[in-house]
Amino acid sequence: MTLADNLFENLRLELRRGCLTLAVLAQLRREHYGYTLRKALAQHGLEIDESTLYPLLRRLETQGLLVSEWREEDKRNKRFYRLSNDGEMMFVELLHEWRELNKSIQNIL
Amino acid sequence: MNLLDRYLLAVKKYLPWKRQDDILAELKGNLESQLEEKEADLGRTLTSDEMQDWVKHLGPPMVMAGRYQPQQYLIGPTIFPMYWWVMRLALLWCLVIYSVIKAVEIIANSPTGSAVLNGVLGAPWVLLITAAWVTAVFAAIEFATTHSLAKFPADIVGHVDWSPGSLPTAEEAGSGGKRPRSFAHAVTEVVFGFLALIWLLLIPSYPFLLMGPGAAYLRMSPYQLATVWVPFFWCIVALNVVQLGWRLIDLVRGTRQNSRALQHLTVKTIGLAATLILFTAPHREWVLLKHPAIDAARYGAAVNSINHGIYTALLWVVAISVMVWLWQIGQMGVDYYRKRVAAEK
Repeated sequence: MTLADNLFENLRLELRRGCLTLAVLAQLRREHYGYTLRKALAQHGLEIDESTLYPLLRRLETQGLLVSEWREEDKRNKRFYRLSNDGEMMFVELLHEWRELNKSIQNIL
Repeated sequence: MNLLDRYLLAVKKYLPWKRQDDILAELKGNLESQLEEKEADLGRTLTSDEMQDWVKHLGPPMVMAGRYQPQQYLIGPTIFPMYWWVMRLALLWCLVIYSVIKAVEIIANSPTGSAVLNGVLGAPWVLLITAAWVTAVFAAIEFATTHSLAKFPADIVGHVDWSPGSLPTAEEAGSGGKRPRSFAHAVTEVVFGFLALIWLLLIPSYPFLLMGPGAAYLRMSPYQLATVWVPFFWCIVALNVVQLGWRLIDLVRGTRQNSRALQHLTVKTIGLAATLILFTAPHREWVLLKHPAIDAARYGAAVNSINHGIYTALLWVVAISVMVWLWQIGQMGVDYYRKRVAAEK
């Protein structure tokens, strides 16, 4: 990997980081467990590594934006996540912020 | 035990122990679902090589587990700029202080090659220990700010309550944060500099101007000053003359507002030279007995003790002066480099 590639990779990760949180919050307006969430995001064109997505869910739950519960499905215990009340409010605010940002970028371009 | 179980076991080792089982159960559920679906798509179980590839794509166990840690860094981006600034300052000062202390120690004892080598080899350890302390302190600050932001002083967290009004003006910034001198200030400096010079020149004839009643005591006491104080005195006079001359020139030329770094350096160099002159005193004696043959038995110990005290004080004065001198040279070097870089642009 050249220096330019490395720089691009770092900037790309930086750019994606905030968007991933927004996408996860958006997707969790409906209940999901880790793997189905990952699949759902991938179907919308957003591939996320397991090592990024699953810890992110935990972090968002610690921050009070998600709630979770263990339930059995297909004879297997799974932890299902969905937006909490705080998470819903935060999602609306972040979405507004993202739309404004997107509009500005579009205007600049 | 299949490869996935072995992977999960390896991940477990690095997980935060309080939530280890919960995280592992969730991760296992997610990965097993994924594996199951993959195998259902293929219509068969994965071969050993395919399983290896799939587990490899999950990433090293330490990385996977590390992302579950509540804090990913020792010193976060909020306080990192301050950490870096303090670190550079601490290392620089530590090196300067260490060098001066070692130099003085070596000169005062026996300046051998092995003493110099030991001093040089000791420097990295001192710097390492300083860096470790600075890092430990800032890691503790980071920990405290992440765990109880409200309780922590805002100015340490990130200068939240700084005031734009406290920013230095362009003139202040150019003169190292000092306000420019007014005309009245510059004139007062010249007048008082002149008076100070006259006062200094009168001291040899009228020692009471310096020592007050102590002059009479010295005259009657069995002690006298060594001759090394004479060149020291003239060096101090020269220092005052240079300072006064420079201030006069600045006043006449209208460049009184900010004194230049070169002026400061010259004054400090003469001051340092004056102090170093004192080290030329034979047998490290700055105070002597007027009649050694008569008074040695009674006052010999006292005079030795006085000379030892003067010697220790001089060592400290030289150490501090050298540090200030080196700091100023360093600052001049940095200013010169910045100007050169700016000119090249």
